Amino acid sequence: MIAIKGYRQGLLIVLSGPPEEPWLTRLRELESKLNANPGFFRGGSVAFDAGAMSLSEDDLRRSMALLAAHEITLWAVLSRDEATRAHVRSLGLADRLEPASTAPASGSSPDNSAPSAVASSPHAAPAEEGHADATDGLLVRRRVRSGQVLRHPGHIVVIGDVNPGAQLIAGGDIIVWGRLQGVAHAGALGDDQAVVCALDMSPTLIRIADAAYVPRPDEIRSRHRAGSAETARIEDQQIRFIAWDKQLRAFE
Amino acid sequence: MEEKVITVTSGKGGVGKTTTTANVGAALALLGRKVVVLDGDIGLRNLDIVMGLENRIVYDVVDYVEGRCRLRQALIRDKRASELYLLPTAQTRDKTAIAPEQMVQVCDELRKEFDYIIIDSPAGIERGFQNAVAPADRVLVVTNPEVSSVRDADRVIGLVESYGKGPVQLIINRLVAARVRRQEMLSTQDIIDVLSTEIIGIVPEDEAILASSNRGTPVVFNGKSPAAIAYRDIARRLIGENVPLAQPQTTSWWQRLLGRTE
Repeated sequence: MIAIKGYRQGLLIVLSGPPEEPWLTRLRELESKLNANPGFFRGGSVAFDAGAMSLSEDDLRRSMALLAAHEITLWAVLSRDEATRAHVRSLGLADRLEPASTAPASGSSPDNSAPSAVASSPHAAPAEEGHADATDGLLVRRRVRSGQVLRHPGHIVVIGDVNPGAQLIAGGDIIVWGRLQGVAHAGALGDDQAVVCALDMSPTLIRIADAAYVPRPDEIRSRHRAGSAETARIEDQQIRFIAWDKQLRAFE
Repeated sequence: MEEKVITVTSGKGGVGKTTTTANVGAALALLGRKVVVLDGDIGLRNLDIVMGLENRIVYDVVDYVEGRCRLRQALIRDKRASELYLLPTAQTRDKTAIAPEQMVQVCDELRKEFDYIIIDSPAGIERGFQNAVAPADRVLVVTNPEVSSVRDADRVIGLVESYGKGPVQLIINRLVAARVRRQEMLSTQDIIDVLSTEIIGIVPEDEAILASSNRGTPVVFNGKSPAAIAYRDIARRLIGENVPLAQPQTTSWWQRLLGRTE
């Protein structure tokens, strides 16, 4: 059984199953999941929760190699087994979820993107950054800046602007209460019913499940001028934008 | 904590970090503060040239970190102000010659003696940038009024925040009010819309800068040029004086307004 959870610093992959099941079997299951949803994971960094399983250094190396082949970085492995934790540390991985340090010096921080994004400003009201290990959604109340990536298996809600160069990648819906100028990928785990809503829809790129839409520059400008809240969703295999309208109502 | 260590950075190269460091450092010294400007760009040092102190370098910060000299021996005194010093960097090494913890340690030494330590960060977001930001109490991000520079500033502000450093303040450099009016250049408001960061100074484009950099005389030493005034204002804001933001902003706003009603 493989479960993908979102937490403050990024993604946690829980690999559970009967204790006698070999690690390789679980890795194969994970691989098929990665292959099915490349857009969701690519470029990210993840933590494993291996439960009580005892893993050898070789098991861990294989895990890292598998993830690396999918352009994913493994930065931490949680385990209840002391020997496993020792192997984890000897490979230079973290054995707990708190980032080792947010200082620039830290060698292996979680994700180049997710921690700096999700846990960006520890001093600025961390409570606002929301649900510690919620699997249903991620609420972020601040500006998402260029180079920052928010990645969550559930929904992502941003109260603030999403700047050009920023990315939001959600298994579910994406709601931006502000101006969306960056890249948004909703339904990144395959849900083609997912939507992207923004008060000011001026994105560089919108993706929903496997569909993608790149607005032309003049289109972005006219959208921005119109300044109406819009919802992007898939209709007839294409991404369409529906302006929010008091009379019509986009959603019945 | 007193905000003594001020890092000047930008992400993008060529926006005016070194000029800003030299002028803000010199302006603070002219206000009677004891100041050291520190070149963070190992292997591509420039601050010594802009300060006109190139030919006085004997030891540098890497020599100090590696134990070849005392810190005092590496400091070069700039006689144009009462208490202004340059701590140069090495030209023949690369960024890995110093670790962030060593920069913190160097700055902890300097804190004992100086009111302000101004660090000139290299371009980029790699090791040299991380070295420059690690000891910072305050970060000044320099941007030009153009899209790519603002994009990099945005990236850098995000990184600085993720390191738990700050507050970040913005310097808009090389603004030309007339070009903003013609909408060839981003306005101050356009930049705030993206970065939503406090502005500590707006420095107009100024021909005096090129000549002064080549001559090794920061404009604040003798100039009444627009940039010199803007840099002196930034220094006064840094020491806590309440100096209203300089004219370019209001000018462009007024003139934009007039331009619309015409």
